[in-house]
Amino acid sequence: MPDVQAATANLIPRLRICHGRGGSLPHRSTPPFLLCGSAVLLAVLLSILFAFPAGAQAPPNEEVKPVPLLTGSTGFITTFDGGEPHLHPIVTPLVLVPIGGRWIFETRATFETDMVQLPGRSAFHGTVAKEFEYVQLDFIANPYITVTVGRFLTPFGIFNERLYPVWIRNLQSDPLILPIGIGPSNASTGVMLRGGFRADPKFNINYAVYFSVLSTASPVNSDRFAGGRLGIFVPAARLEIGGSFQHGLQDERSNAFGFHALWQPPILPLDIRSEYARSIVGRGYWVEAAYRLSQVPFLQNELRRAQVVARMQQFFAGENASDALLPMNTKQFEFGLNYYFIDGLKASSSYGRQFSTDGNKNVWTMSLTYRFVVPLGHARSE
Amino acid sequence: MKWRYILLCMVGVTAGLTFSAIAQERANSTASSSAEAPAPTQGMPAAPPSAMAKSAADGAENGAQRLEGEKRFRTNCGRCHQTPHKFPPRVMATAIRHMRVRAMITDEDMRLILRYMTQ
Repeated sequence: MPDVQAATANLIPRLRICHGRGGSLPHRSTPPFLLCGSAVLLAVLLSILFAFPAGAQAPPNEEVKPVPLLTGSTGFITTFDGGEPHLHPIVTPLVLVPIGGRWIFETRATFETDMVQLPGRSAFHGTVAKEFEYVQLDFIANPYITVTVGRFLTPFGIFNERLYPVWIRNLQSDPLILPIGIGPSNASTGVMLRGGFRADPKFNINYAVYFSVLSTASPVNSDRFAGGRLGIFVPAARLEIGGSFQHGLQDERSNAFGFHALWQPPILPLDIRSEYARSIVGRGYWVEAAYRLSQVPFLQNELRRAQVVARMQQFFAGENASDALLPMNTKQFEFGLNYYFIDGLKASSSYGRQFSTDGNKNVWTMSLTYRFVVPLGHARSE
Repeated sequence: MKWRYILLCMVGVTAGLTFSAIAQERANSTASSSAEAPAPTQGMPAAPPSAMAKSAADGAENGAQRLEGEKRFRTNCGRCHQTPHKFPPRVMATAIRHMRVRAMITDEDMRLILRYMTQ
């Protein structure tokens, strides 16, 4: 039933289905523990290498001593997908442990379920899926370089790494092209160098380069690939544009690339985001605009908390099939309304219409999401 | 035809909101420029001129840093999510280190945002 799985992967946006890759392992695959060991060794060497030039500089001037945090988000998402109701509770805890002045350990897990009504049975049923999305150790070597080792979100495009949490995203459904370039479980296992710095008084540059090893241990599986992302951010215009590239080091050794853009016009509470991605499994784009009604001259107390959102996206299936992507060309338009009750608590609703050769359908979504922050220590005293 | 109607509606709504936003901005800027400067406090003992100048300079520098920190906060944090309220200082210190890695904000931005958020 690959078609059903592929369709479900996009229609049930939050639930990630991690498929073992045992059947398609390349003959030259190296045991994961050896590759992990190599990656750790490389990371340690890089850390030492970059720590020496950093030693001449003052450590980050964090006058306040940071405290470990338990943060994350929780949500309850209801979807009517082609008339079929799905109930989708999700909890995503994130633990942040700063170590000294330059290190931070971070890990995020997801507990979620997609409950549906099964034929012949009453009520909704589903199983809880548990996944460690990332477990990584970051070393801020100097103002230009941060070294990350472990399992990290693949920095391909912007959605997976920066917009994925339910309290951040403007529409609760995933973009159709999200699975392109991010690996089998949205993450990579290996080493990454990244950073952001002011290259010119008028713009900043941010970058990430990474190498991921093959891991078949579901649900923390990852592919063997290398890639990078480069972005330019112009603070005065509040515009960021960038591109991503990835080269597979297994199976077909194919390439993937993408572009992204974010723009917030300084005089308007408007967010415009867009991504394009292309690989052998497919290509497509999404464009999203979100307008906060804070400048509307009436009902200001109510409307300043409201936000209207619209997203247009299109996906073109590629020559190679992927379980995580739709098997056919698809076009989807969505619009919705978000309401921010307080900081971190948001209610969302949206309507979308999906057009594909497999048939057209409506997708309704309603959700309530909350972002929590719990300090694991004294938050105010130093 | 449906798509045309949807697009026309979106363009109309966007244009209306843009005009109302610009009108609101103009009204705000007019109001702020016409606001009176605060009157000098009467009845307070006069401080020495050098101390007054130093404290005025410190105040101006703090104010400038605060404004710059707020600007960087809105520019950087607002790129991905709604700008959060202030948290306790040690919580902010952890969050800003996390965001330095995740959102790749610059070292200078991190310092200014942390200063603004912990004041």
